[in-house]
Amino acid sequence: MVLAAMGPGLVAALAGTDAGGIATYSNAGSLFGLQQLWTCPVMCFFLIVAQETAARMGCVTGKGLAGLIREQFGVRLSVVAMLAVLVSNSFVTLSEFAGIASGMELFGVPAYISVPIAGIVVWLLTISGSYKRIEKVLLAIACIFVTYIIAGFLVQPNWGQAAFFTIVPHIEPTPVYLSLLVANIGTTIAPWMLFLQQANVVEKNVGPEEVPYQRIDTATGAIIASAISWFILLATGSTLYQHNVGEVHEAAQAALALAPVAGNAASALFGLGLVGASLLAACVLPGITSSAICEAFGWESGANTSLKEAPAYHFIISAIVIFSIILVLIPGIDLFAVMMVAQVVNGVLLPVLMIYMVRIASNKRVMGKYKNSMFWTGITWFAIVAIIILTIIMFVLQAMGYGG
Amino acid sequence: MQQYFSQMLGVPVLDATGEEIGKVNDLGIATGEVFPRVTSLAFKGPGAEPFMISWRKYVDSLDDDGLHLKVPAGEIRFSYLQPEEVLIARDLLNHQIVDTRGLKVVRVNDLKLSQSGTNQIRLLGAEVGARGILRSLSVHLEKAVLKIARLFHHEIPEKIIAWSYMDLLDKQLKDVQLSVSHKTLEQMHPADIADIIEKLDPRLRSQVFAQLDVARAADAMAELDEDQAAEIMHDMDANEASRMLSEMNPDDAAELVSELDYEKAETLLRMMGVKEERAIRQLLGYKEDTAGRIMTSEFLALNPEKTVADAIVAVKQAERDEAEMTNYLYLVDDEKKLKGVLSLRQLLVNKDSDKLSSIMEKELITCNPDTDQEDVAENISKYNLLALPVVQEDGKLVGIVTVDDALDVLEEEHEEDLQLAGAHASGDNDRRDGPSELQWILTNQLWFFFWAIGAFLLGLLAICFHLPSGTFLSIIALPVALLMGDAMINSVTNFYIEHDSDDEDKPSLVGFALKGLSGAFIFMLLMVLIVLGLSGLVTGSSILSTALPFIDCGFLTAAIVSLLLYACAPLYLRVLYIRDENGKDTSRTTMRIITFLLAVALFIVLACVLCQIPALLGFMG
Repeated sequence: MVLAAMGPGLVAALAGTDAGGIATYSNAGSLFGLQQLWTCPVMCFFLIVAQETAARMGCVTGKGLAGLIREQFGVRLSVVAMLAVLVSNSFVTLSEFAGIASGMELFGVPAYISVPIAGIVVWLLTISGSYKRIEKVLLAIACIFVTYIIAGFLVQPNWGQAAFFTIVPHIEPTPVYLSLLVANIGTTIAPWMLFLQQANVVEKNVGPEEVPYQRIDTATGAIIASAISWFILLATGSTLYQHNVGEVHEAAQAALALAPVAGNAASALFGLGLVGASLLAACVLPGITSSAICEAFGWESGANTSLKEAPAYHFIISAIVIFSIILVLIPGIDLFAVMMVAQVVNGVLLPVLMIYMVRIASNKRVMGKYKNSMFWTGITWFAIVAIIILTIIMFVLQAMGYGG
Repeated sequence: MQQYFSQMLGVPVLDATGEEIGKVNDLGIATGEVFPRVTSLAFKGPGAEPFMISWRKYVDSLDDDGLHLKVPAGEIRFSYLQPEEVLIARDLLNHQIVDTRGLKVVRVNDLKLSQSGTNQIRLLGAEVGARGILRSLSVHLEKAVLKIARLFHHEIPEKIIAWSYMDLLDKQLKDVQLSVSHKTLEQMHPADIADIIEKLDPRLRSQVFAQLDVARAADAMAELDEDQAAEIMHDMDANEASRMLSEMNPDDAAELVSELDYEKAETLLRMMGVKEERAIRQLLGYKEDTAGRIMTSEFLALNPEKTVADAIVAVKQAERDEAEMTNYLYLVDDEKKLKGVLSLRQLLVNKDSDKLSSIMEKELITCNPDTDQEDVAENISKYNLLALPVVQEDGKLVGIVTVDDALDVLEEEHEEDLQLAGAHASGDNDRRDGPSELQWILTNQLWFFFWAIGAFLLGLLAICFHLPSGTFLSIIALPVALLMGDAMINSVTNFYIEHDSDDEDKPSLVGFALKGLSGAFIFMLLMVLIVLGLSGLVTGSSILSTALPFIDCGFLTAAIVSLLLYACAPLYLRVLYIRDENGKDTSRTTMRIITFLLAVALFIVLACVLCQIPALLGFMG
């Protein structure tokens, strides 16, 4: 019942706690302990800004983000935007398959069996559009990560230290720290979530008069998602960091953080949650990407179209799924590293899409009286500039080979 | 000379002295023409805001250097956008439009212009194909792609939609007076409107509906998918919705109302006129899927004592009232009891003074309101009727079921049947005959007996030849092979029923075989992967881990056998066609028994062989 009452914002934010998110937070906790806790409130704020803008644009225009980009910026800039969407979403899909593979490995199922099965299942569900039916089930499974909150209490962390690190930002100028930060941004405010959010609002045909409700919905979703990530950081930072696990390479290590709750069943619990969350996101992603691209270029799309009616739509979905399967099946690939890299790609490409978004949202002709306030626009630009600077520093440090 | 708007954007605007004063930013067109003339020019100077000037007054010529104006910069007077003008960059380019001829929602990628004389430019149409996208990216890219395509003997045509076949979706543009010759949604067939509406975003759906007049909207609503219609109805203003319901035929309206939630339905019904409300409530009173639910209460009824001349007057009157007319005239007495039927043709061929009772058809085919709608549809199709009268127990005529509603029923039932066939691959039995349970199992679940036979045979073989004791376990997987064989027979017979042997456009045998085989392959691959995956889960328990390899082996065997069976599919088809040519009938059950025997034999042999290979077993474990 609670699941049924959830709004688009909550779904989008919860779906964001996916394989990539778990990998990133586990790594951050494992490598730096509690030192990245301060990112949670900050990210929560930016997440609200970004998701609220997307929801508001959907309410006011009744159009998807891709359609708006095309109408406001023309073909050339749309191609740039859609390339960004395609690349970042393909990488995220890849990371979801990596999540499925490493989750199933906990149950002793090798990747070369689980990944093709997952691939066929995802492909069928996306093409037939019937993933909506199992969406709720998968969401419920993904809620397993709520156990991190219990784990956070059970590990008896140093609460004083946790509070300190939550309030006082701490930045280390090392490539590892910075790339984790960019990945953190990329996984929390993923470009695909913006598209999902706006598409959900448009699908529900919510009018501009309901913007206030959308704001509440978005804020709740963002706060819950951030709270979960805060507890993941707390739990991993108090266990993995203490045990000097170092960089997390496999699901079994990450699952250790749940041991205080589940004991021996920790790895099963973690695996189930990881597979559920990854499967959910993997079912959503190819469809969203393909619809966005088709919307921008005026091709027919949708789950109820046939291959003949909408060849481009089906082709893009299939290409993304196949791309992901093949890359994940490369022998000896570090699945957790794949998940991390995808989030970094996300973080790097996020400002590109946010620039489009903020330009449209502050356009009076499009948004009317619901256009961005100066404050909101300022915040968004601040986020964009901050991410770009972070990215540049990260790349420069990496190029210099400093500390890496 | 023809050119594209994408190439005109950014062309320098030069005044009479040859000095550049800005760049082309947009063009305004006069909407009231078939090929609209460009009437104003918007250009962007150094400032942020574009200026707009009259094209006719100031533009002198357009050449490679740019757009030459007639006067120096100082003498230009700016103008405003006129109500009948549309700006093509702002309002058309990159926007969604409805292609009212191709019946699709498309996005405008470029606009094709045509220059006539030195300074007149007209809009030929909107380019919506891939070439528009390529051209907007770069003209060289378009040329390069065209060249490459030509190497493969493939032409990429332009997809141009003429102005007169565009319908703009943008809300603000609705106020623009479009030309008289403009073919808009208004003039399209309701079924086509419904097709387009189904492809739009929810918001646009309501917008398009708001723009149609009530009668047209009601017709389109009746053609829409019921779920979608109910959704739109739900979003509509209650006043508007109830007016639309009144406008619809009572049977369609009743169907729609039954999809709405109770409260909404009640509100709407109460807001309607009393007469329409009663008609709909009456229909809703009948059970679902009966004649009562799909009949209309609008029909032409006359007293049999009237003459042909009276009848013709009545028909003309009914036509003026736009009743849902069929070509029949029903004759009822004072108590509304049905006495006879007349077709319009009979009215034409008889004398004006003839009494209707003397020429009417008295042998009537009727149904009553509780008759199953499927039976009604069958009767209509069997007797080639355009409508079937619905008569109560007491002989009163309460409505008619028209042929279009009957077609809907048949279509629906057909879909349901297809679903049934999909759910139970062996569902070709006739349920109404009600055979005994055992017989039913025998004809439909034949595989079960063959499984038993297979188990017996394998057990026997295992004992006689002293095979490893686990071999017998592989029999668990035999049903998969049997059911796949059954599915194969079904696909063969379906193909055979759908396509005659002398059918011209019959798909090739090879195509059919490949399709079936690839489907079976994916299915089997999935099964084997799942089985292997699941058995990977089992560790520790020693009894299971020794048994598992044999079970896995069984499933592998089943997969191979299934594929072999599917490979035989064309052979079956060939035999069917040959027997058909010789005038022999083939029973499906016989085909199934043969297939099952084949499957059991193949399975047992393969299973015995595979279970002997230690390497394979080791891999499975």
